Amino acid sequence: MPTSLDLTQRAALVTGAGRPLGRGLASALADAGARVAVTGAPAKGDDRLAPVTGSLATRADADALLERAHAALGTAVDVVVHADVAWATPQPFTDVDDEQWDATWEGTMRATLFLFQAAFPAMRARGHGRFMVVTPTLSMSGAAGLAPLAAAVEGQRLLAKSAARQWGGHGITVNCVAPGPEAVSDEVHADAVSLAPPALGRSGDPHDDLGPIVTFLASDAGHFVTGVTVCADGGVWMAP
Amino acid sequence: MSTSAPLEARVAIVTGAGQGVGRGIAHALALRGARVVIAARRAATGEPVADEIRARGGEAVCVVTDVTCRDDVAACVDTTVQRYGGLHVMVHNAFRGGQGHRLEDVDVDIWDQNSRTAVWGSYYCAQLAFPHLRDAGARGRLVLVTSPSGVEGSVNIPLYSPVKAAQRAIAKSLAREWGEHGITVNCIAPVAETPALTQAFSANPVLKERLEARTPLGRVGDAERDIGAVVAFLASDDAGYVTGQTIVCDGGSFTGL
Repeated sequence: MPTSLDLTQRAALVTGAGRPLGRGLASALADAGARVAVTGAPAKGDDRLAPVTGSLATRADADALLERAHAALGTAVDVVVHADVAWATPQPFTDVDDEQWDATWEGTMRATLFLFQAAFPAMRARGHGRFMVVTPTLSMSGAAGLAPLAAAVEGQRLLAKSAARQWGGHGITVNCVAPGPEAVSDEVHADAVSLAPPALGRSGDPHDDLGPIVTFLASDAGHFVTGVTVCADGGVWMAP
Repeated sequence: MSTSAPLEARVAIVTGAGQGVGRGIAHALALRGARVVIAARRAATGEPVADEIRARGGEAVCVVTDVTCRDDVAACVDTTVQRYGGLHVMVHNAFRGGQGHRLEDVDVDIWDQNSRTAVWGSYYCAQLAFPHLRDAGARGRLVLVTSPSGVEGSVNIPLYSPVKAAQRAIAKSLAREWGEHGITVNCIAPVAETPALTQAFSANPVLKERLEARTPLGRVGDAERDIGAVVAFLASDDAGYVTGQTIVCDGGSFTGL
């Protein structure tokens, strides 16, 4: 029975490590023994994390990024954590223009699709793979002033479910981890989506609170969980 | 309190109303007294639906509209307001891009069709209708037509799911944002007899049996009686306290909400 949380055989790519969210998740995977490449890494940080540069603007960019991660880690990536969530400022929907809609909706969705597509061949060849997407709960709750971001995040969440359905036969799981609204904006708080405060009394720390969930989903122990969203918001949204 | 014409004095736009679910919704709204604008990409499909409604004693006009084009949607809204004096109900149903595909090698053109019609179309319809929905106050309604696939994912048409999901997130967000004006924003997630589904059934006859077998009510929905009636309810005064929701109209097949 595969129950290990050990990730020493795993090679991970974590996007969005320029912010505490991605950086905390990347460090948590490294704690469990994974070799970890990161995008958006700050100059000073966890020296276990291998910074790689690149973008997800096109499929070719995504392929190149995965190749660089492969080179940096010495092995093909079999764990992808897409934590590059857009930071957003609420604004009236009537003020949103096509350029913003394009950047938020198209930009987020295309990047996620290209990342999935670029990482898939090596996972299929290995018969093993783990995708995780960080999808803040505001997509499930909706958020005034943040419709474009909510649309993009919910799109990611369902892209993950569809990928889980299509790729399960290759030993690939695809899941989402949903932190609270504070993960995307200083201006949207838990009380915007629930009258109740976080059941656990506080919002989460990326490394200490969300890290273990990502580690579990990346591990052998998490092998039978796919297509789900784990809400890791301290008990605010409590979605089904 | 319902009346026999609960949508009397209401003006509605239905996109993609030239066929299928949109046509059914347009008929259902018109039957209950609404004046309906058939926003169809092609006059060849839209005009006959407007004719059908008028032949049944209703009021309708076709305005050729490509929902992926901001100017088209703006012109449709302007024409509607000029002709009928306002706009109370915007129903975005138009969709293109349902052909099967594999995620690993799907052509970006398929993504574009899905994204442009479902999501950009929702954005344009919502944003351009808003000033008139606000004027309509407690009678302002935005209804987005989504799908059970937007909640459960899809193994055959994987890119369909994220665009349908995005519509739900837009609806929830706008429900929160526009509630102060009395505007309600909801989704319906139908499964109904449409030209696309009929085509899929003829290509794969087992599909219909399988669909009916997993549906508690044992049949595929009728676009006007089963789906249109639910949109008509959402458009009515009776549904004025329902917002941010997705009503699944599929005979009970999907129970995941």
